[in-house]
Amino acid sequence: MKGLRVALPGGTLFDNACELLAAAGIARLDPARFDRELSIRSGDDVFVKVRPTDVPVYVEMGGCECGIVGKDVLWESSRECYELADLGFGRCRLVLAAPRDSALAEGVWPQSLRVATKYPVSARRFFAARSLNVVVIRLHGSVELAPLTGLADCVLDITATGRTLAANNLVEIVEAGASTARLIANHAALKTRNEQVGAMAVALRRAAAARLTAGAA
Amino acid sequence: MTGLDALPPGATVRGRADGFNDYLVGPAARRRLLADRFIETFEAWGYGFMVTPLIEPLDTIAAGVGGAQQSALFRFMDSDGALLALVGERTVSVARVVATQLHDGPFPLRLCYAGSVLRNQAPNAGRRRESLQAGCELVGAGGLAADAECIALAAAALERGGVEHIQVDVGHADFIPGLLDSAGLEAAAREEVLAALARRDLVAVEAALEGTDAADAERRLLLAFPTLRGGREILDTAAGGLRGERPHRALQELAQLWDLLDAHAITDRVHLDLGAVRDWDYYTGPTFEVFSVDSGFALGSGGRYDTLLSRFGTPLPATGFVLHVDRCHDSVVRRAGTQTTPVVLHVSWESDAHEEALELARALRHQGVACACDLVAGGDGDVRVTASGARWSDRGQDEQGSVDAAVAALVAGTS
Repeated sequence: MKGLRVALPGGTLFDNACELLAAAGIARLDPARFDRELSIRSGDDVFVKVRPTDVPVYVEMGGCECGIVGKDVLWESSRECYELADLGFGRCRLVLAAPRDSALAEGVWPQSLRVATKYPVSARRFFAARSLNVVVIRLHGSVELAPLTGLADCVLDITATGRTLAANNLVEIVEAGASTARLIANHAALKTRNEQVGAMAVALRRAAAARLTAGAA
Repeated sequence: MTGLDALPPGATVRGRADGFNDYLVGPAARRRLLADRFIETFEAWGYGFMVTPLIEPLDTIAAGVGGAQQSALFRFMDSDGALLALVGERTVSVARVVATQLHDGPFPLRLCYAGSVLRNQAPNAGRRRESLQAGCELVGAGGLAADAECIALAAAALERGGVEHIQVDVGHADFIPGLLDSAGLEAAAREEVLAALARRDLVAVEAALEGTDAADAERRLLLAFPTLRGGREILDTAAGGLRGERPHRALQELAQLWDLLDAHAITDRVHLDLGAVRDWDYYTGPTFEVFSVDSGFALGSGGRYDTLLSRFGTPLPATGFVLHVDRCHDSVVRRAGTQTTPVVLHVSWESDAHEEALELARALRHQGVACACDLVAGGDGDVRVTASGARWSDRGQDEQGSVDAAVAALVAGTS
């Protein structure tokens, strides 16, 4: 086994991840090719496209040496991986949002709160530090509907632009965290394949920094 | 196989708790053999085998390990209401035994053990919740020679067990905390950096250091933490520009340890790893982890824990390590592929030759050949015993002769 196996997240981060790998000189991957093939070899390295929540699983269990994944997924995952670099893209925030006309929106925290979210682990950790009686309701999509239908008082959800929240008459109450894409690595691989993993981290970090400078200019 | 639809709703599937394994004939024997090889090696180095219970009072465990490990224990209540737990590791048990029964020495004490440990992990995570660990503790020896012995012994045991291409990463539990001290960080920033390092989150380490007035040499080392690896030469590189005494002392200890490991002739398998992230509250000196390219997990780990015994009222320096037998087994199987199950000969007999068959079986077993004797007459085994002798086949060739001749041929054939 010469090269590294790298898990890439399907979904919104995917195209950006491929672009950054190309900019870093690691691999030129045509995103469309992954529609036909599950894994693509480039040089000695092998790239697989998996669901974002599965990236830390592949990396922790040693199915892949490295992975690219959003910090929001890492918050929710209890997998032990090394987080090596902030790759800068896929910027979004995990926020608590409530209906515009609610007491919460006025800054009044009720004694008990029903929170709809796709991020139950993060929600429990976020509210653990606050003395509130919180009921976390785990949903798998369209959490904005929960306050509209009376299922929950508020939502803890990811927002990039705030447009979806606004369109559903929700306002941000507080930010729970800011997320970007990260490079993660398997514990043993960091030791046994240190040079290769380190080289990938350095190349991606450099490409991410260059992009950030270019974007700012 | 029954499809899911065919099961009535609420039907009980008599299964096995997730995260626990059955080991069937073959794998179970190989796994046991691997543990035996480890224990044999420990004993060959003068470590006495001992057994500790699977259950300990929660208080005893809590005296030894931190909150994160305690929360991953299977806990339950004794008939008198006392809280008990299934052990998640066995070093604390050995420490308890030393403090209560072996406190008069003679020191150093060399002890080894093997047994199940349990972790109450989330189901369906693909992680083992019960695993077999074999370990050694060297109690009452404070010098680096003791640490070197443990590292060399861990490597020797793994190699004796057939685990190939191992790599030992040696670090020092005081290096990073010492580095944070000498960096002149405020207490809050120091805690933040340590917590981020413990989470193995380099991005957060960087963020925590940003905006602090950490000295340049220390900042450079902290940011490079996963790559602070190599041979003896990295110690000099790392020492450049460091002001504090603590990190320097850790580096000096590692230099001495390296020379001792060289004397043990294992430095070709050793890397020094200054960025090793270990439990800083537990370990007090050199630490190590053993890896193989065949496994995504550490196969073994250990280090010096000079404060643990004092928590049991017996302040004694100690060092030790544990090998994860199941992960080692995975690694060996991955490399060697599926191995054949051990050979068992079948002995059959004609109705008037049961006694002779049992005698032949006894003779075979005496010579170390595993064999099972048929329970009824007339079978078609590897050897068929009659009142006048035996028939067997040797490389496809039918042979016939006395019981003694059969034993000799079968012993030769299976050796």
